[in-house]
Amino acid sequence: MLLEVLQGTEAGGFILIQDSVNYCGRHLLKSCINAALKREEVVHVLGFEVSQEELNDGLDKTSAQRLHFHNAYSDPLGWTGNSPFTVHQFTLEDIGTLLKQTPQAKAVTLVIDSLSWILRHHDPAAICQKLQALKKGGVVRAVIGLLHSDLHQRGTVGSICHLATSVITVAPGTRGLGAFAKITRRTKSGKLMQDEEIFSINEDLTVTIQSKRSHPGSTPMNTDESEVDPTANLTFNLRLSDTQREAKEKLPLPFVFSKEKKSALLHPGTGSGRILYEPDANDDYDQEDPDDDLDV
Amino acid sequence: MCVFLQGEFILVSDKHTDASFLIHHFLSFYLRAGCKVCFLGLVQSFSHYSAISQRLGVSLTQAREKGQLVFLEGLKESLGVLLQASKGTRTMDFLRDPSSGLRGLYDFVRDNVRGAVGGAEEWGPPVLLVDDLSVVLSLGVSVGAALDFSHYCRATVCSELQGSMVMLVRCEAEEEEESDDEGSERLLRGLIHQCSLTLQVQGLPTGYCRDIHGQVEVCWRGQCDKQQAQKKLFQYKVHDKGASFFARGMSSAVL
Repeated sequence: MLLEVLQGTEAGGFILIQDSVNYCGRHLLKSCINAALKREEVVHVLGFEVSQEELNDGLDKTSAQRLHFHNAYSDPLGWTGNSPFTVHQFTLEDIGTLLKQTPQAKAVTLVIDSLSWILRHHDPAAICQKLQALKKGGVVRAVIGLLHSDLHQRGTVGSICHLATSVITVAPGTRGLGAFAKITRRTKSGKLMQDEEIFSINEDLTVTIQSKRSHPGSTPMNTDESEVDPTANLTFNLRLSDTQREAKEKLPLPFVFSKEKKSALLHPGTGSGRILYEPDANDDYDQEDPDDDLDV
Repeated sequence: MCVFLQGEFILVSDKHTDASFLIHHFLSFYLRAGCKVCFLGLVQSFSHYSAISQRLGVSLTQAREKGQLVFLEGLKESLGVLLQASKGTRTMDFLRDPSSGLRGLYDFVRDNVRGAVGGAEEWGPPVLLVDDLSVVLSLGVSVGAALDFSHYCRATVCSELQGSMVMLVRCEAEEEEESDDEGSERLLRGLIHQCSLTLQVQGLPTGYCRDIHGQVEVCWRGQCDKQQAQKKLFQYKVHDKGASFFARGMSSAVL
């Protein structure tokens, strides 16, 4: 499903790439940008976190004229006084002005690197409103954002994920097999699809899926290793014969409350103790059995 | 092909131990390499670093006189700010008003990290060293302001001037991570996202050892996907004249 998400979205799509300190999601973001450029789309990048040179490194050079990098990296807060783009300019009007640089483009993809930077300087609710307006407003065809999920509160991350049509959560893979991605995709009809894949990114920024549905915690399927029988080669016998297995299965478990056990407990046999109860004047003696409504 | 080259942002962090030996190492290393060094010494006096550098074979006083080293003595500057409200440059403004952030400190870095125009000596690429950034958190500066400061330093020193940056961050042990919004752990995570190489220094998981003082985990956050998997673990011992590093289990004391 990862490749489908990267290959293109319907209009009004918002792809969110979530990463953490353990694995940097920017490489996947660059793959998304490259895929959009190859589809002849015009890509506008709001670059807060890395410089233009660093982001452009490795991208398809032939479509460079369709890539517009808006430098919010060198002075995002306006400290030098002549900043090309500041974080306070993340508004619909200012983004619209930026996009007017390419008025003839039909399909514009807006890439935000990263949403974490903006969330540090703006109220999360306001950011969600702006993202929703960008999605619906028709100004851009699709929005791709990078979010560092370990820098924000869970509620903030959850709100942004809720807005996205596709969420790709990346994590390091086990045993150097590539990286792990969990993809959640929401279609226009409201249907939710989820998938987990192991992938790697090649030198030309294309993505190769290595295997599907493999949790990072579980060990990968190893057909070379044969199953080891733990009951073999021991000095004592751990195996069960058929009759022994039958007897074992017939044995009732100690805390399972069966009818026989209940009657055995409620009606003790001869020889066991009896309780003689003489109620006092002050005692509230209720003849009803308090356990009657128990469904045991 | 990933051939993008810029200066490195090296992040040194420690938890339950003291990684300042790496700062002393980097300081004498870059001075010996002939680089222009801007050192923000926020936690110790100049004579402290000078004494240790002397043992490592570098004279900080000489370097400062030659113009190779620019040293901000945070402790001395802060006295000036606190005792005489009218005097003092904007560098340590955050002491008087923590909510104003570290813009003054960045201005100091920006003004001092470039080589002097028409200077007598030609120094190598500029280097910024900070010891340590987490102390500003205890002075009331927010994590966001500290991350903004490191971002601006990286944009100027690493991207614009192709120099290098080494910052030390010290973490306190936090029991609950969810409630730790404004703590050093969040600062550490934010800095890891910005840097290209992290050196995480910890004590040995098995406890104190006389011959092995701790371990260092080196993680490259590369520009290429392949580089991301690179993590190496070394052990170290701090000597009088520096530190020695070796692979796990290869200390001369145990071989």
